[in-house]
Amino acid sequence: MLNEIAITDRDALAIGAAIYSAAFLFGLITLLIRKPYSHTIMFTLLCGGFLLQTLGLNLRGAEIKACPLGNIFEITQFICWSFVLLYFIIGPVFRLRLLGFFTAGLAAALAGVSLLAPGWDAPYPPGIFGGNPWIELHAALAIFSYAVFAIVALVSVMFLIQQHGLKKKQFKGVYQYLPSVQQLDLMAKRLLITGITVLSAALIFGAVFWINNPELVPKFKLAATCLVWIGYLVVVILRIQKKLVTRRYALASIALFLFALASLWPIQSASETKVDATPVETSTSER
Amino acid sequence: MSQVLQSLFVLGSTHHEAPLEVRERMALSTEKAAKLQQELHALDQIRECLVVNTCNRLEIYGLATDPAVEDTIRAHLCASNGVSRELLDAHSFWHTNLDVLQHAFEVSTGLDSQMVGETDILGQMKNAYADARKAKCTGSVLNRLFEKSFQAAKSARTQTAITRGQVSIGNVAVDLANRIFGHLRDSRVLLLGSGDVAEKTAQSLKSRGVADITVASRTFENAHSLAHKLGGAAIEFGDFAPQLKRFDIVISSTAAPTAILDRSMLGAAIKQRPERPFFLIDVALPRDIDPEVDKLENVYLYNLDDLSSIANENLELRKAEIERARTILKGHVWNLWLQLRRRTLLASK
Repeated sequence: MLNEIAITDRDALAIGAAIYSAAFLFGLITLLIRKPYSHTIMFTLLCGGFLLQTLGLNLRGAEIKACPLGNIFEITQFICWSFVLLYFIIGPVFRLRLLGFFTAGLAAALAGVSLLAPGWDAPYPPGIFGGNPWIELHAALAIFSYAVFAIVALVSVMFLIQQHGLKKKQFKGVYQYLPSVQQLDLMAKRLLITGITVLSAALIFGAVFWINNPELVPKFKLAATCLVWIGYLVVVILRIQKKLVTRRYALASIALFLFALASLWPIQSASETKVDATPVETSTSER
Repeated sequence: MSQVLQSLFVLGSTHHEAPLEVRERMALSTEKAAKLQQELHALDQIRECLVVNTCNRLEIYGLATDPAVEDTIRAHLCASNGVSRELLDAHSFWHTNLDVLQHAFEVSTGLDSQMVGETDILGQMKNAYADARKAKCTGSVLNRLFEKSFQAAKSARTQTAITRGQVSIGNVAVDLANRIFGHLRDSRVLLLGSGDVAEKTAQSLKSRGVADITVASRTFENAHSLAHKLGGAAIEFGDFAPQLKRFDIVISSTAAPTAILDRSMLGAAIKQRPERPFFLIDVALPRDIDPEVDKLENVYLYNLDDLSSIANENLELRKAEIERARTILKGHVWNLWLQLRRRTLLASK
C-alpha cells in the first residue's frame, strides 16, 4: 500500500518538519503578542507533523526492509519522532503548559537540520543490524531513551526560563504560561529516571550482542554510549541523593542531552567504518 | 411607552465622586439598604427599584413613571444615611435611560471599579439583584437589565484582557506561589508578625487552599488571635527559626528594626529540604529579610515594592483594555436598549 503513495520518504519528512516549524511559529507569535495559544491548534499541528513523519519513516523502512536507523539522518528523525510521540503520551497526562510549543521547536530544529545536511543521509549497506532481533531492540530502546532525554532537556529549559523569570521578578509574557518550577523540577527528575532505565535496558540488550560478536561493535561507539550512560547515571544518583537539584540539575540535563546528541555523529561514523570493513555477505549470512 | 423608558434611572455615589470619608458617611448597613429599597419601591412614581451597596459604591437603580422623581429619591437617601442634601448633591451622579444601561454594564464588568477589572463587583451585583428580586422590588425591565449586564460582563472579560493579571498584593502573591509550587494544597505558610498586608496575603493564600497557616508574633496573644482568625496555629516568636524548614511560604511583617531572617538561617533550612523551594514575602518596613537571601538557590524573595510594581503593571495593562471592553459593552447596550423599547411597545398595545 505504501508503494502506491506518490510521495518520497524525504518529501514526507520535509513536510512533517515544515508542519513542526509552523506549530513552533504559531506558538511563538501568540506568545509574542502576549496571548495564550490555542492548545487545539498546537496539538493538531503536532499531530499533522507527526503523521507525515511517521509516513516518511515508514516509506524509508519499507524501502530498506528494516527499522530506519542506519545513518545519522534516520537516527535524528527517529529521535524526533519518538519524543513527539512521548509528548502525546505525557503532555495530556501531566498537563505541562507550553510543553507542546517547546516540543514543536525542538522537533522543527532537529528534523530541519537533519534534512538540510545532505551528508547525514549517507547510503549504507542493507542488513545493517544483521537480522539480529536483540540489536534491533537495543537500537529502538536506545532511541526511545534519547527521546526521553530530549523531553527532559525541554522540561529543564522550561524550568530555567521560569526560574529566571521568578528571580528577575518578571511577570508577563511566556513566564505566566509556564508550569511552576516545582512541577518542572519534579517532572525532569521522574523522566530522567525513566530515561536511564530505558537506556540501561538498551545497553543490556546491546551487551548480549556485544558478548557474542565483540568484533562487530566499534570500540569508539561502545565508549561513547557508555559515557552517555554513566553521565546520566551519575546525575540520577546525585539527584536521588539530593546533591544535584533544581538549576544545576537542569543545566546538567541539558548539557548531557547535547553531549548525547553530539556523540551520535562519531558513533555513527564508527559504525559506518565498521560496516564498510565488514563484508555484506557476513551480515546477510547472519539472518 | 416612551415615558417609561425615559424614566429608567440610577442615582449613585462611588469612589469617582466621593472621597473615602464621604463614602463612610454615605454607607448604609445591609438592613438600611434593604429598607430603603422597600420604601422607594412602595412609592407610586417608582415601578421597579434595586439598591447596590458596596464599600466603594451606593447606587439606586429604578424605573419611574415620573421623570421628575430624582428629588424624591435623593430625599429618601438623605433620610436613610443621615447626610445633608448638599453633601449628597456634591458627591453623586444621576443617569437616565441609555446611560443607565451603559453604567450598569460597566459596573458589572469591573470597568468602573477602583481596581479596574476586579471580579468581586460582579458577585456583589448578582447578590443585590437576587435580594431585590426576592423582595419583589424588580420587574421585567430591571430583571432584563441586570441579567443582560452579567452576560455582557462575561463577554467583555472573555474578549479582552480586562481581568488579566492580579492587581492586589494578596492575589499577586498567590499567582507567584502558583508559579513556584503549582497547586498550593501541600504548601505550609508561616506568618511572622501580624501586619494588615501580611494578614490579607495570608487570607488570599488560604482561599487558594494552602495546607496550613502558622503565626508567630512577638506578642503571643496577637499571634494566637490572628491564627484563630485564619484557622491556623500560633507559635512562640523565638521558635520560628528552628522550624523554618517545615514551611514553604514565609510572609514577614514585623516591626523589627533589622532583618530577622538572614542568609545563614535560610541556607541552613534549604539544606534540609533542597528539592522544595522557599517563597519569602517581605512586606515589612524596614525589611525583615536580608536581600542577600535571594541569591540562594531555590529561594524566591519578594518585597512590598516588587509585589506593588507587579500589581501596578497589571493595572496599567487592564486600563489599556478599558476602551476595547467599552466598545464591546456598547454593542450589548444598544441591543438591550432596542429590546426594551420593543418590549414596551408590545406591552402597551
